Amino acid sequence: MSEGTAPNAAPVPTGAVPRRRHRQGRAVPYLLILPAFLLAALIILWPLATITNISLHDVNRFGQLRGFSGMANFSELWRDPDFIATLWRTLIWTVGVVGGTLILSVPIALVLNRDFHGRALARVIIMLPWSVSVTMTAVVWRWALNGESGMLNSALRAGGVTDTNIVWLASAATAFPIQIGIGILVSIPFTVTVFLAGLSSVPEDIYEAASLEGASDWQQLRTITLPMLRPFITLAVVLNVIYVFNSFPIIWVLTQGGPANTTDILVTYLYKLAFRFGQMGQAAGVSIIMFAILMAFTLLYVRLVAKNEAQS
Amino acid sequence: MKKISCLASGIALAAVASMAQAGDVRISVTEYSSKTGPYFQKMAKQFEEANPDIKINVEVTPWDVMLQKLTTDIAGNANADLAIIGTRWLLDFVEQDIAEPLDGYIDDEFRGRFIETFLSPSVMDDKIYGLPVAASARAMYYNKSLFEQAGIDAPPETWDELKEDAKKISDLGDGIAGYGLQGKEIETDVYFYYPMWSYGGNILNDDGTSGFGSEAAIQAATMYKSLIDEGLTQDGPTAYSREDVQNLFKQGKVGMMISAPFLANQIKEEAPDLQYGITAIPAGPDGDRGTYGVTDSIIMFGNSENKDEAWKFLDYLFTQEPRSEFTLGEGFLPVNKAVSEEPAFTENEDLKAFAKVLPDARFAPVVNGWEEIADVASSALQRVYLGQATPEEALSRAAEEANRILGK
Repeated sequence: MSEGTAPNAAPVPTGAVPRRRHRQGRAVPYLLILPAFLLAALIILWPLATITNISLHDVNRFGQLRGFSGMANFSELWRDPDFIATLWRTLIWTVGVVGGTLILSVPIALVLNRDFHGRALARVIIMLPWSVSVTMTAVVWRWALNGESGMLNSALRAGGVTDTNIVWLASAATAFPIQIGIGILVSIPFTVTVFLAGLSSVPEDIYEAASLEGASDWQQLRTITLPMLRPFITLAVVLNVIYVFNSFPIIWVLTQGGPANTTDILVTYLYKLAFRFGQMGQAAGVSIIMFAILMAFTLLYVRLVAKNEAQS
Repeated sequence: MKKISCLASGIALAAVASMAQAGDVRISVTEYSSKTGPYFQKMAKQFEEANPDIKINVEVTPWDVMLQKLTTDIAGNANADLAIIGTRWLLDFVEQDIAEPLDGYIDDEFRGRFIETFLSPSVMDDKIYGLPVAASARAMYYNKSLFEQAGIDAPPETWDELKEDAKKISDLGDGIAGYGLQGKEIETDVYFYYPMWSYGGNILNDDGTSGFGSEAAIQAATMYKSLIDEGLTQDGPTAYSREDVQNLFKQGKVGMMISAPFLANQIKEEAPDLQYGITAIPAGPDGDRGTYGVTDSIIMFGNSENKDEAWKFLDYLFTQEPRSEFTLGEGFLPVNKAVSEEPAFTENEDLKAFAKVLPDARFAPVVNGWEEIADVASSALQRVYLGQATPEEALSRAAEEANRILGK
């Protein structure tokens, strides 16, 4: 970019003015992003540094540091069987919710992209869960899942599916799949929106050309639509993983991670550690581990996708 | 030039801020109900009228986030002068030198205002660190109509009788359960301590180790599990928090449950037709019984710059009239002797029942990591209720965990 103007070249009197202008021009982009960078540093790097610092110290429940403790907080976590189980469960939760969301969102977006009678209404219905806060959705589900007076049991009994009440939230075997299901439900609107944006960027004439060549609908989907959607799928995967991995309200409202920690994910476990048990050091450790996992995932995934794209 | 004027105005601002602080008392209170905020505002106003040089600022915070708010405030050195805390958190506040001992302000007359049972949990190392502002105990609620239908004429005296009565009530059918068993969220462990205490067990042994593995604890958990297995509780207790069980009780779907005085207030408002009675928690074979006592305390922060003013406000809050209004409004038990002798309390059947169980009241043990130990117990019980572990397995593991937390 510097077009051969070596910065340490001897100044030539006639060329001095344009060179300075050039140099100024090079600094401008950095100057322009400087405020945003400083802001980002302030709201991302500063807390990160603070949390790292806390995780390496013996900390009292009020967040006051009580001496350096090295990796003690982390080794305490690794010794805790609940933490290890929670780590795995968080993986199942994230893969379950994001996977389920993607599998459902692609066909929904394809249908909503077609012109049919009542499409506007259908789009509104699909987007509706987005307009309600996740916590509120979870509270409504908590009522609906109530064993004794919940809507779900009433509906199942009225429909003749069961004749006894099922206590959905009593054990993880029923509670956790339901929580994943609710997670999928609230993630669909965002994901469908991303896909619809992707679909609207596919030019219509490609399909026309493909039809003329005799490509079936299925072939068009596989060879045109899905490849064109790929960058949007990548975006949806990365953003959903980050969001779902850190998602607190559904699990907290429905079971608080119980019974007996069997529906805990890292973020609910972290909350209990920090604000119930006052283990600020360990909680900060969990934060760091979560950050590292998400960071590693995002970097790996984006690199993988970029490589694939370069190959194809 | 600009910099200097900036600095100057900054200093001026700081001066104004600190000037505004002199004589100001900030108090953080928890929101027990919609009446709490207005009550403290009213008290502040009345106090300011009598003491024009002191200004009271009231901050109301919901219960669930109070500890979180205080933690954040203290970490940022931005805490108030006074705050209401759960007395079971007090140990942390004392050990970290955050709470100020109040003995220097308290004279015999002041101390004499309190019922000793409720003051004692706020005393540590022979110093008073907090003043009980809200007090509560637990007793057994029973549904009189269900008892009548099942042909039972008096509430059970022992856990064996409770089981028999629960069977008769459950036999009424129609989805009615004899005993409402809490198995989720806050106080799940406490719901199990009641029978454990009756069978002669304790949360902590005399040597300070955990009592969860004791014979009495296993007996209590086995008894609860047998209630579940024989269908004498509502289905799937691990899905029911205390509020959920209370809702079942209000709907007339459970015959008995153990809860706090505020349930009586809720029943009066939400289910006025429900015929209920309040009685002591059943006793064990040797006549032992225990109920859970809970107090919240007002503490003064050690870093407060207006301790004398703050104390003056406390002194006012703990006089009879303000205490009476608060206790009645929120449905707590009186902590003030004079208040407990007012007709509003002596003639209230519900509160009388609670006053009667007070001698059996036991408070959360004052140990580090208590919240974590309570969680260990709750998890162990959930495993028992779900049938994932026998009472022996679950509780001996819980005792080990608790001992590790206790450092024993």
